[in-house]
Amino acid sequence: MRKFLAIVKREYVQRVRSKLFVLMTILAPLLVAFFGIVPTLIFGIRGGPVRIAVVDQTGKLYAHLAKAVASDTQSEATPDVTAIKNANLTERFQFATPGGRKIELYQVDLDGRTIDEIRADLDHQIRSKQIHGYVVLPADVLTHSRPQFFGANTVDLFTKRTLEQSINRALREQRLRQANIDTRTIDELSKPVELRTVGIGPAGEERDSGERFLLVFAAGFVMYLTILLYGQMVLGAIIEEKETRIAEVLFSSVRPFTLMLGKLVGVSLVALTQLTIWGIGFLVLALYGVNLLASRGVPMHVPAVPPTHILFFGLFFLLGYFVYATIYAFLGSMVTTPQEGGQLAMPIILLLVVGFYFFLPVSQSPDSSFAFWVSMTPFFAPITMMVRIATQVPPFWQIALSLLIGLGTILLLMWIASRIYRIGMLMYGKRASVSEVLRWVRQP
Amino acid sequence: MNDSDITVKLNSIRKSFGEFTAVKDLSLQVKAGRIFGLLGPNGAGKTTTIRMIVNITGPDSGSIELFGRHITPELQDRIGYLPEERGLYKRMKVGDQLKFFAELKNVSSKKIDRRIDEWLERVKLTEWKKKRAMDLSKGMQQKIQFIMAVLHEPDLVILDEPFSGLDPVNVELLKEVVLDLKRAGKTIIFSTHQMELAERICDDICLINRSEKILDGSLRQIKQSFSRNAVALRLEGSHDVLNNNGLVTHVEIHSDELEVLLAPGVSAQQLLKKLVESDVSVSKFEMIEPSLHDIFIEKVTEAA
Repeated sequence: MRKFLAIVKREYVQRVRSKLFVLMTILAPLLVAFFGIVPTLIFGIRGGPVRIAVVDQTGKLYAHLAKAVASDTQSEATPDVTAIKNANLTERFQFATPGGRKIELYQVDLDGRTIDEIRADLDHQIRSKQIHGYVVLPADVLTHSRPQFFGANTVDLFTKRTLEQSINRALREQRLRQANIDTRTIDELSKPVELRTVGIGPAGEERDSGERFLLVFAAGFVMYLTILLYGQMVLGAIIEEKETRIAEVLFSSVRPFTLMLGKLVGVSLVALTQLTIWGIGFLVLALYGVNLLASRGVPMHVPAVPPTHILFFGLFFLLGYFVYATIYAFLGSMVTTPQEGGQLAMPIILLLVVGFYFFLPVSQSPDSSFAFWVSMTPFFAPITMMVRIATQVPPFWQIALSLLIGLGTILLLMWIASRIYRIGMLMYGKRASVSEVLRWVRQP
Repeated sequence: MNDSDITVKLNSIRKSFGEFTAVKDLSLQVKAGRIFGLLGPNGAGKTTTIRMIVNITGPDSGSIELFGRHITPELQDRIGYLPEERGLYKRMKVGDQLKFFAELKNVSSKKIDRRIDEWLERVKLTEWKKKRAMDLSKGMQQKIQFIMAVLHEPDLVILDEPFSGLDPVNVELLKEVVLDLKRAGKTIIFSTHQMELAERICDDICLINRSEKILDGSLRQIKQSFSRNAVALRLEGSHDVLNNNGLVTHVEIHSDELEVLLAPGVSAQQLLKKLVESDVSVSKFEMIEPSLHDIFIEKVTEAA
C-alpha cells in the first residue's frame, strides 16, 4: 500500500507542479472563452447596418412594415428621423438583428415619378453603395401582385427572411384594416409571441433561454477534452517508462499491476484537481462575475446546476477516464516510441470523437432508445449520459446501470491491461504484434 | 553448509519465450557475503536469470529460494537491482528520484534524506541533487542509478554490467563501493560479459553459455583446476637447458619471453632449481594462471 501511494504521489506531485499543468489550468478556460467570444465578434464585424429602401406604391404599407421589421428584430420601433441623408428617403428606421446586424429602412419619396425612374435611381444608389437594396411594393400588392426585392447581395438570407416575414405581416395588417377592423383589435390580434422556454426538472420549473444548452455543450466538451488529454498523458507516461527502461527497476520493487494502477489513479487525481479548479472558477464567475458583468451592462444568466449533476459529472468523468486510460496503458506498453503510440491511439481517439458527436442527437431526444443505448455503452456513456442528465434527467436506475456497466468494463480492461503491461513493458526492440499480445493475455 | 549461508538458491529453473529457451535447467547457489559473478557472452541468459531472482518474471519450472525462503514479492525489498537496461525520469530532480525509488522499497521517508546526502557525497554528485536527471551526463546518471540499487541497504545487490560506459576513475570509485558493500556483509551478484573485470573482484563465478551453465565454483578453485602447469620465463643466454631435461614437454617462444609447459608431476620448483644450477641467468620466472577468458573459450569449444 505504501508503494502504491508512493507511485500515486509521484505521479500527482510531478504533474501538478509542472509548468504544463499550470499553463493548461489557466489557458483552457481562456481558450474556451476565446472560442465562445470570437464568433460573436466575427458576427459583429459583418454587422454594419443593412440599408434597405422601400418603394411603397400603396402609400399605406410602410408604417406596418417598419413596425413588423422592428418586432421581428426584437428592437424598439422608434423611427430615427434625425439622420436623413437623402432627400428621396424621408423616414428612416433602424433595427438591430439578433446577430448584431442592423436593418435600416428608408421610405422612398415617389414625387409622382414612374416606377422605372425610381428604380433607375435606386439601382444607381445600390451601385454607389448608398443602400444595400430596395423593396418594391406595387400599388396592387394588397390584392394580387407580388412585392419585389432588389439587392446587391441576394445571398444574405437573414435579411431576406426578415423582409419576407415583415412584408407578409404588413400586408396582413393592412388587409385587416381595410376589412374595417379597428386598430386596437388588430394590434391585439397580431401581437407577436415569443416562445418562453421552461425546463421541467426534478427541482421544479426553471426559465431558460439558451444558456442551458451552452452549459450542456460545455460539460460535454470539457468531458471529451479532459478524457482525451489525460488519456494521452497516461499513454505518454507509460511509453516514457518503457522507452527509458525505468520499468525494469520499477518492476524489481513493485508488482506491475500496482504500478499501473498507481499511475492511472495518480493521473486521475491530477485531472480531478484541474476540473475542481475550473469548477471553482466557474462558481466564482456564476456568483460574482455575473453580477459584475450585469452592473456593467452585460446581461448574463447562469443556469442553476444541481449539486447531483456535479457529482454525476465527476463519476462519469472517472468512468470515461478509466475506460480510455486503461486502454492507453496497455497500448503504451506494446509500443516502443511515442510515434508508434500515437498511431495505435488513433482508433481510440476516433471512438471518443464519435461519442462527442452523439451529443446532438442525444440532446435533441434524450429519452429515445438510441440515447438509452449509447448512454449504456461505456465508451460513449461519459458524454451521452451526461448530456441526458443535463437535458432531461433519466430514471436513476439507468444512471446506476450505466455506471455499473462502466465499472465492469473497467475491471475487465484492467485485467487485460495488467497482463499485457507486465510483459510488454520489458519487451524492447519492436512493436508487439496482435498475436503476441493475445498470447501475453493468456499466459499465466 | 548451513542454508542461511546461501542467499540465492536456484533449483533447475527453466524459462522459455515461445520457441526460444532462455534458461535451461539452471541450478546454482550464491553464498552470503560474497561477490558472485554471473558470466557469459551477450544473450547467454544472464538477464533472464536475474529477472527471475528479482521476481520480475517467474520460471516455467524449477524453484527459487532467497535468504532460505521460497521467493515472494515481499522479498524484493531486500534486493537492490541495477539492470543493464536502465533509465531515470528525465524531468525529475535527482534527489526526488532517489527518494521515490527508496519509498518503493518501503524505506521510511525519515531515514531517506540523510542517506541520499551521504551517497551523493560518496559518488561526488552532491551539488547535482536539485538538478533534473536530463541535465546529468551519462556517467553521472549511471552513478545515480547505482545509488538507487543500494540506497535501501539491501542484503542482496544485483549489478548487471554496472561499469559499462564509465571512465576508469569512476570504475575504480564504484569498484571500491562494491568491495565496501561486501565488507559490510552484503551479498553481491555481479553480471558481466567482461571476464577480466570479473576476475578482479569475484569470489565465486558461474559461467553460462547458450542458456546453460557450463561451470561454477570459487574462482580460485576453478583457476587451479584449469592450471596447465605453465611457466613464463625470460632467460639471458642460451636456453638449451630447457631441451631434453625431462622436465619440460613444450616450449613456446614469444618475442622476449618463453612459455613452457611442465611435464606431468613436475613442479615449478624443480625447473627453477635446474635453471639456477645451469649457467643461464633468470630475469623472470612466473607461474601462468589461465585467464577466465581462456577457461571460458576452452569450456565452450569443449562443449561444442
